[in-house]
Amino acid sequence: MDNKQYKNLAEAISIKDLNKSFKVRQKDSGFKGFCKSIIRSQYKNVDAVKNISFNVKSGELVAFIGPNGAGKSTTLKILSGILYPDSGEVKVLGLNPQKNRKKLAYDIGTVFGQKPQLWFHLPAMDSFNLFARIYEIPQEVYKKRIAELIKKFEIEDIVDQPVRKLSLGQRMRCEIVLSLIHNPKILFLDEPTIGLDIIAKKNIRELIREINDKENTTIILTSHDMDDVEKICKRAVIINKGSIIYDGKIKDLKNNYIKKKTVKALSETPIRFSARKNVKIIKKSEFGIKIEINTDKTPIKNIIDYLLKNNQIIDLTIEEPEIEEIIEAVYRK
Amino acid sequence: MTLNKYFYITRTNFVNSVAYIQDIIGSSAFIALIIFIFVNLWKVIYGSNEYINGFTIIMMLWYLVMTESIVTSQSRVLEEMGNEVINGNIANYLNKPYNYVLYKYFQSLGRSVVKFIVTFVIAGLVVYIFIGPININLITILPIILIVFLAITLNFLIMASLGVFAFWIEDAKSLDFVYSKIIFTIGGMLVPLEIFPKWLYNISIYLPFSYVAYYPAKLFVAFDYMLFFKVLIVELMWITVFAIIASMLYKICVKRISINGG
Repeated sequence: MDNKQYKNLAEAISIKDLNKSFKVRQKDSGFKGFCKSIIRSQYKNVDAVKNISFNVKSGELVAFIGPNGAGKSTTLKILSGILYPDSGEVKVLGLNPQKNRKKLAYDIGTVFGQKPQLWFHLPAMDSFNLFARIYEIPQEVYKKRIAELIKKFEIEDIVDQPVRKLSLGQRMRCEIVLSLIHNPKILFLDEPTIGLDIIAKKNIRELIREINDKENTTIILTSHDMDDVEKICKRAVIINKGSIIYDGKIKDLKNNYIKKKTVKALSETPIRFSARKNVKIIKKSEFGIKIEINTDKTPIKNIIDYLLKNNQIIDLTIEEPEIEEIIEAVYRK
Repeated sequence: MTLNKYFYITRTNFVNSVAYIQDIIGSSAFIALIIFIFVNLWKVIYGSNEYINGFTIIMMLWYLVMTESIVTSQSRVLEEMGNEVINGNIANYLNKPYNYVLYKYFQSLGRSVVKFIVTFVIAGLVVYIFIGPININLITILPIILIVFLAITLNFLIMASLGVFAFWIEDAKSLDFVYSKIIFTIGGMLVPLEIFPKWLYNISIYLPFSYVAYYPAKLFVAFDYMLFFKVLIVELMWITVFAIIASMLYKICVKRISINGG
């Protein structure tokens, strides 16, 4: 979707000046601390999100990124009406999620990669049937919908097996199907690819894009996996320590903030490489080397060419910086 | 339409409980051992006496079968709900179009039915083999089932209230421990309340805990219509009280909830 079309779409989510802090109980350890805590508890205020604002158009696919404890889940939970904000204005599909939690539940689907919703001992089909009842979907509608989803997610052969017998990738496909049964307008995916192997990840990513594309579902995806984010989304919102530090295109993010790549090389003969401008040697042993290149100033090709020409290279990898590094870079700016 | 979904939750958990029935049979097998110990203990205590506080040894042991079956059928609820409230897994329930307490009730019902039947059969078998059968008037079976059902409901609601309360104390395990010991003793699970000293008996019979274990089991071994109607009315009253407490605590808790783990 390009920017032109964006403007014509209604807003699925709007957050304005949102604040939320938690009272964390301070407990001294041991029996003495326990007694003290009964008489008078001491609380410490921890800001989970501070003054954040952003909008999501309907049909948009946005990555919501940040390190652990940055405030991602808190924001998602406020959006689904589970948490109450301290101040600020939150609208989901035009409604206040805290006042309309049950009503909005019919329009929101959630997948928590670390908190499965499928019944572990039962076939996935039983969970699907239960959710169809919970969301009060007429049986004819549900039958059609589930047949469609089963086909799309290629889970024909596994829906009748107890979930505990499925692989993690199969399970995740079923989890996503479960979250889509009621045809939600908004989908929250919290780390949907956590722990999956490369093929399963690829598969899940394609499916997420397809749902967004074909059903026009608004999707907010949180992940630690930069690959996920890059392959699925165009826009990223980065949050750190409760504040939004970047909101824009992922492509720009990479180009503007991260101008370095790491090259690792292994040679059959003792490695030959001397330090030079804009290249930092991170680690060097007799046969191996790890260097960081500032790609803005030195084309990576020059370095690779040099390495290949002067060494008997048997292994060479080029790494992009980790998401934490990007966030750090963004945060420092 | 709305109730339909809750019944379906019960159904699903019923199927789920049957799917890992070995688990349930395993924990009930332990109860067989406890019952066996009590069989021998009561044999020694009764000696040549026919009655103790109006109970024959057959009544005494079938009383225990009933209380054990009721109490173990709900044994996990408090800790489960308490932990969900404390560790934030409640989030998975709060974003669904149903009421959390009602969901939990109907869910627990699905497991309770299976657990109750399994425990009753296993414990009953031990007593049947070593002591003998109990005389039951067939007409009284339905009223007894009704009271047992209400007792399980009351037990759930007390546990649910305490489970939500765990949010403030941040510890479900100790509440679970204390509550189960209350049911063991003044709830009348181990021995009928008549065995207690008069003053403790007088207190215990007015507390809600006796409606979880004591009264249903007493009606089971010594049915009486007057007692049945009295228990029915008071039981319904306690159910109403604790339903209000549970849903009120739950509402306050949800507003103040701070979901741990980000």
